[in-house]
Amino acid sequence: MYAAWVVKHKPKSLDRVVGNRDAIQKLVKWVKAWEKGVPKKRAAFLYGPPGIGKTVTVEALANDFRVELVEKNASDYRTEDAVKRFAGLASQYGSLFGGKRIVLLDELDGLTGTADRGGVKAITGIVKTAQCPVVLIANNAYNPRFSTLRNYCLLIEFKKPPVSEVMKHLKRILLREAIEVEENALKFIAQRSEGDVRSAVNDFQALAQGKKKLTYEDVSWLGYRDRQEKIFTVLRMIIYGKTCISAKKAVDMADVDIDMLFEWIYENVPAHFTDPHDLARAMDALSLADVYRGRIRSTQNWSFLRYVIDYMTAGVAMARQNTKASGWIPFKFPGRIRMLSRSRAERAMRLNIGRKIKRKCHISAIRASKEILPYLKIIFQNNADMAVGLAEWLDLEPEMVEYLAGTKKKAEAITQLLS
Amino acid sequence: MKLWCGAVHLSFEMWAEKYRPKTLDDMVNQKEIVERLKSFVKSRNVPHCIFAGPPGTGKTTAAVCLAKDLYGSAYRERIMELNASDARGINVVRETVKTFARVRSIGEIPFKIMILDEADNMTSDAQQALRRTMERYTQTCRFILIANYSGKIIEPIQSRCAPFRFTYLPREEQDGYLRMIAEKEGLNLLDEGLDAIFEVCGGDLRRAINNLQAAASLNRPIDSKVVYSIAGKANPADVRKLIETAMHGDFLEARKQLRNMIQKYGVAGSDVVRQIHMEIFRSDIPELWKIKLADILGEIDYRLVEGSDEEVQLSALLARLVEAGYELGKTA
Repeated sequence: MYAAWVVKHKPKSLDRVVGNRDAIQKLVKWVKAWEKGVPKKRAAFLYGPPGIGKTVTVEALANDFRVELVEKNASDYRTEDAVKRFAGLASQYGSLFGGKRIVLLDELDGLTGTADRGGVKAITGIVKTAQCPVVLIANNAYNPRFSTLRNYCLLIEFKKPPVSEVMKHLKRILLREAIEVEENALKFIAQRSEGDVRSAVNDFQALAQGKKKLTYEDVSWLGYRDRQEKIFTVLRMIIYGKTCISAKKAVDMADVDIDMLFEWIYENVPAHFTDPHDLARAMDALSLADVYRGRIRSTQNWSFLRYVIDYMTAGVAMARQNTKASGWIPFKFPGRIRMLSRSRAERAMRLNIGRKIKRKCHISAIRASKEILPYLKIIFQNNADMAVGLAEWLDLEPEMVEYLAGTKKKAEAITQLLS
Repeated sequence: MKLWCGAVHLSFEMWAEKYRPKTLDDMVNQKEIVERLKSFVKSRNVPHCIFAGPPGTGKTTAAVCLAKDLYGSAYRERIMELNASDARGINVVRETVKTFARVRSIGEIPFKIMILDEADNMTSDAQQALRRTMERYTQTCRFILIANYSGKIIEPIQSRCAPFRFTYLPREEQDGYLRMIAEKEGLNLLDEGLDAIFEVCGGDLRRAINNLQAAASLNRPIDSKVVYSIAGKANPADVRKLIETAMHGDFLEARKQLRNMIQKYGVAGSDVVRQIHMEIFRSDIPELWKIKLADILGEIDYRLVEGSDEEVQLSALLARLVEAGYELGKTA
């Protein structure tokens, strides 16, 4: 039996809660005030994004102060009647057996619709007359529904904890679970959670449980999966779009920039347009989108971007006239981008040789690397004598000679002649 | 680090440089242009100029020769050559160009010459900045803008410049030049080799000379076979295979080949178009289709100039070839 790590490793005391030191201090101060009598605000309203430790904080607080915690979830108090049923609990600070108590009403966001409106009203009633600390929790305290309620509450905002704090928490867990984790794997999980500690712990468990060691490779696909799913939806909307509007709308959903989206579309169009006429039309649309990109570049008029988008989305979608959507064809990561990073070193070498040529030949380094370099290659691979002369004349570095000669052996033949 | 020092070798240069004309008198082609430039030298005055025309037709050579004839041996201090495609941002115009342009030169001729090569690669912002610089420092500096397409130079600059239109070398002039080099280098250049070079390079003299030099490196008589093999190797663009793959309907494979040419070997997109154009008319595609494809090629060639991504443009062309292959298959 595996216990959920979020429960198993839940912080039991306030000093173990991840982040939000200010908020916790504010809350503690308010609870302590109750010992001197009923304070002006009888309820504390904790709010902030999910998974950052609001509920955990209250539980740890009750634990640290040794008070009874009466906890209710939104599902428990949907209606006025239901609320009134446990209203009595809040009517006195001490419990039946002399201990003190805190009443926690969690997940207030869950109260929706007109049916629950009475619920909020009843809660407001409890808060006004409470004789013990009442803590309310919601993601968004500024929902108009809570406008009256807010007036009677001490508002305490919980923020996303920094990555370093999340990592600290994960480290405590891995120590107790006796798992070895690469630092950058841990960081990846912490970063990906974007401050949602709960989801970070869940991810961590899913990935690490049963393993002795967790490496970066084990976790790196996670983020890829998320982004992948999203871009796939976007691509589907464009490539199989029925109307111009729906294809164009996909752009708003994409969380990659326009150029990257273009690459995704450009990579995947061919496999999804099997009819030659459709394919030609779709590629033509991409070509025109690219023409507008060129026009943006040369005029710096960015309003042309809308035509880029028109062609790359609606233009592609409307190209489908004969191809039926048949079966499931997977989307692929833009191969060009992958290749670009692989051939970077080679291109740098070519450009550096181009620069050497430029100094002698009245031609730009870029053009030289394209137009003259291929001939040099032929010469260097066939005629060591001529190559030596040219290497000297162009003042080439040894590694450039080797690149042009193609093989180490030929390069040696040339450098030997040089010395 | 240099591995070589002191040793004496036969001097090998790139022949395109070695045989580049040193003065306007040496220039055998572009006669009308050369005459006008000579008259500038005679009157000791040069307007701002645009030299436009295809590659390898003598634009840069003419600009450098003009400067040499004008300034004599001191020409190096009086001219600056800047390549817009290596440094085409607006800052270059602001800094480098301005600094050069505004300092008055001493001597008989009161202005310097700035040669801006591949000026059609400058952004329009940079061109706007250039226009102001040209105006402001006309007294101290004259500009020669070199471009393949004068249309990509903004109108206000065009109107301030004297235009010169360079054209491809006619067959006999290119042949004459290559023969002269062959004689001086002691090459066995056959007539069919010359034919082949012209077919492959089509009046682009720089390319023709590079081709000749690479062919010479094989130490064999230079016949058409040698030339074609050089041209094929110099162009990792195996265009014939590319066309075949596309017309047989395998678009993805064709695009892969194209990608290799562009990314790995840095083949220029315009070269691919030019070669496809040549191939198509050589092929056994039905005559009517050759014209149709030429139309498509022309359109893509035009978009290449305007667009921003060569592979995207050329793969649109490949898709058209797939389409053509499909239609041809239906009729056959």
